[in-house]
Amino acid sequence: MLEVLASNPPGVFHWLVLSSLLFSIGVYGMLSRRNAIGVLMGVELALNSGALNFVLFNRLLAPATVDGEVMSIFIVTVAAAEAVVGMAIFVLLFKQMKTVDMTQASQMRH
Amino acid sequence: MQNADLSFILRNSWLVPALPLFSFAVVALFARRFSEKAAGVVATASVFGSAVAAGLVARDYFRIFPPGTDGQALVPWSIEWLRYQDRLSITVGVLVDPISVLLMVVVTTVSFLVHLYSTGYMRGERGYGRYFAFLNLFTFSMLGLVVASNILQMYMCWELVGLSSFLLIGFYYSRPAAVAASKKAFIVTRFADLGFFIGIILLGYHGFNLLDGQHPFDFITLSSPASLEKLAGATSGFLGVGLLPLAAVLVFMGAAGKSAMFPLHIWLPDAMEGPTPVSALIHAATMVVAGVYLVARMFGVFAAAGDALLLVAYVGAFTCFFAAVIACTQDDVKRVLAFSTLSQIGYMMFALGVSSAAHPMGYTASMFHLFTHAFFKALLFLGAGAVIHATHTSEIWKMGGLRRKMPLTHATFLVATLSIAGIWPFSGFFSKDEILLSALASGHHGVFAIGLLTAGLTAFYMFRLYFLVFSGFPRDEQAGHAHEAPLVMLIPLVALAILSVLAGWVPFSDFVRFGGGGGFHEEGHALVAALGTVAALLGIGFSWFLYAGKGTRAEALAARFGALHLVVKHKFYIDEIYLFITHKIIFRCIAAPVAWFDRNVVDGGVNLSGWCARVSSRGLTFLQTGQAQAYGAWLVGGSIIVLLVAWAARL
Amino acid sequence: MIWSKATGTLLFYLFAVVSVALAIATVSSRRILRAAVYLMGVLAVTAGFYLLLGAPFLAGVQILVYVGGIVVLIVYVVMLTRSSDLAEDKPSAARKSTALLAALASFVLAVTVFKSSESAFRGAGSQAATMLIDDTAMIGRALLDRGPRGYVLPFELVSLLLLAVVIGGITLARKIQVDQSAAPKESSDGGVANA
Repeated sequence: MLEVLASNPPGVFHWLVLSSLLFSIGVYGMLSRRNAIGVLMGVELALNSGALNFVLFNRLLAPATVDGEVMSIFIVTVAAAEAVVGMAIFVLLFKQMKTVDMTQASQMRH
Repeated sequence: MQNADLSFILRNSWLVPALPLFSFAVVALFARRFSEKAAGVVATASVFGSAVAAGLVARDYFRIFPPGTDGQALVPWSIEWLRYQDRLSITVGVLVDPISVLLMVVVTTVSFLVHLYSTGYMRGERGYGRYFAFLNLFTFSMLGLVVASNILQMYMCWELVGLSSFLLIGFYYSRPAAVAASKKAFIVTRFADLGFFIGIILLGYHGFNLLDGQHPFDFITLSSPASLEKLAGATSGFLGVGLLPLAAVLVFMGAAGKSAMFPLHIWLPDAMEGPTPVSALIHAATMVVAGVYLVARMFGVFAAAGDALLLVAYVGAFTCFFAAVIACTQDDVKRVLAFSTLSQIGYMMFALGVSSAAHPMGYTASMFHLFTHAFFKALLFLGAGAVIHATHTSEIWKMGGLRRKMPLTHATFLVATLSIAGIWPFSGFFSKDEILLSALASGHHGVFAIGLLTAGLTAFYMFRLYFLVFSGFPRDEQAGHAHEAPLVMLIPLVALAILSVLAGWVPFSDFVRFGGGGGFHEEGHALVAALGTVAALLGIGFSWFLYAGKGTRAEALAARFGALHLVVKHKFYIDEIYLFITHKIIFRCIAAPVAWFDRNVVDGGVNLSGWCARVSSRGLTFLQTGQAQAYGAWLVGGSIIVLLVAWAARL
Repeated sequence: MIWSKATGTLLFYLFAVVSVALAIATVSSRRILRAAVYLMGVLAVTAGFYLLLGAPFLAGVQILVYVGGIVVLIVYVVMLTRSSDLAEDKPSAARKSTALLAALASFVLAVTVFKSSESAFRGAGSQAATMLIDDTAMIGRALLDRGPRGYVLPFELVSLLLLAVVIGGITLARKIQVDQSAAPKESSDGGVANA
């Protein structure tokens, strides 16, 4: 058992499938949720999987450097920024419309 | 000469134009609201200050270059205004030389007297403050033009005087005639300025290429023989014409527009719709001589350009005679004076035209006539203004017998009339004499003959005006009730009358000369003076014969020359020809098809594309649901497609 | 050695199962507050992935910023915007199927692309290095390096972005005066326009 586990470490493909699975789940949440905060959570999931990919490729292609990690840090920062602005908009939306239902916020149609 | 050595007032000669500008801002922004009366006082005081400064500048300048020596051009003050590169920068400065000093003194003096007169003339009018603001703006622009140290600064001020002229002609903006006249003046002069501007560009372009290390726009550069020699060799690339002749003709086009030379004269008679003091200041004494001043300022270029001066001479001589003929038949006192202005400016122009670098006598004569004309023509207009003020009409056949009702106005008007007619010892005699003499001495005998004939005509139509307005008996009830103008209007009249007499006795050729060429020739002087006086006396006599009585002889004469009289009275139908050309030919044959093409083809194409966009967008509006997640779905779908395509392309 | 390798593999599969399960729970939970908790779990497990990939500093950042910051913010806003009509988030079948379609399509596309280009990575080493290196000092140096491979400019830009976000967040969420008189007038205007 130990031998099997030790000689079959997760390959690139495993990591990539994992991250794209997380990404797709994020996309699903982004598109299916009615609650605006839920939508934002989906976006966070997708972003998170992107950051994971950056670190993965960093280790894979240039293990001696940290470029991918730095990118991940930037992604986390931008995600935080996006969350702050998004939350502010949702609070404003709630003040105006008494709901954060995405289907209700459709004033900007033709 | 270092600028530090100059006197205080020369170093600060920018004060001369700056005072009216400052006052314009004050009057336009504050005084008008505060009190109408204050507007007049501030405006007049500022121009008085400007006149004093101009006088001091003249005194100090002629202290440095005493009369009889050659006056050099000084630039005691200048700032860099726009900088493109080392040699291509536009400066704004003050150029002091004999003719700019002369014009500074004339403009500020006449402007001050007109301001003073206006405080009486415009009393109680609507827009009193606005009037003085505009008048100040004009004075500033005119002074800026006069002291301009380079051609671009002159062009800016040139347009500014055009603007203030436009504003003042249209001062009574509720009258359609005034609005039409202001537009006409603006459009005609703008059209002429187009030529001027092209000329500037041409000179600047070639000057920049040919004159190393010199500013191509500066008047000092443009009048130095060395740089003119370099420019004279250049061709303009337009039909093989030399650069200088082409540039000179284009510049002259602007000058002709501003000075209302034939065939661009049509705006000036209509410009009399403005208040009479405005006509006196702008459309008689100062702005309309800007064209003459421009030619004089660039005389070096014209002289080096060869035949360009001949054009100036012929246009000037023709306008001189042509306008005098029309003036004989006009019935409106201001229109008579307007055509007389045209005629007198024609004198100045042809005086410049007949002179050359070697024989610059006409240059001096032209400036001399500009100097004297400014005083007596302003006086004529102000006198006419006083008469119109008293009789509430400008129709000369409704006046008459005003000699006894308005004795002082009559006396000053007579002085001006004698002066313009060229009777000794009034100023017009001297200056006109010099012009005729310069034409004769330069060998232009035809021009001399026209000038002499026009001198007789001038005396005739001026005395026709004088007899009809002042002698005989009132032909209208209003004229019978006329009374003398208020004191504030009489002071400028008397002052100008004194100046009109004295101006001729100034030893002018000691002050203003071109290059080294000296003053007036002596030979032939007596002959020309005698001929001129005889012509004037003949004109006066004929006029007395026709109009001193009841005027029936004049009617008989007009009846005999029925058709000719009608043609002249309608100013040779020049306006109608212009209207025909613009409306019937340009509008109908060029503008109308172009407008049709624009409306149907160009607009049609634009509308078609707009229609396409509208229809296709209406079809796509269902996509815009306002649902952010629907957009998200499109985004994901689109990204997938793009990735698929990219991936497929890679394989 | 064999132990650590075996543990690494074991942990990867364990984390993978847990994270995917939590992610699915996040997007499908009807109660938004629970979803936030599940999201926190996903993000925490991702920190574990970072540890497996030898990026302990990043794992710390992930926990601090994501779990400690963003999720807490989300929870706050969930509390602030609680409304009765959205107590349970039940998307319609059409929404669900559209979203599922998009998610599946992107997943299939990604996997296909990876599969077809797997050979490209093989030369670079088919397995991720799992040794722990001291990435903290390296990241610090890289972030403040002014050389051609440094990140000082993006670093400063991000700090500018954060400043803008702080100001923007305050501006957006501060108390606004809703003009009560304007709203009905506007609708009546619209009525006139429509008529």
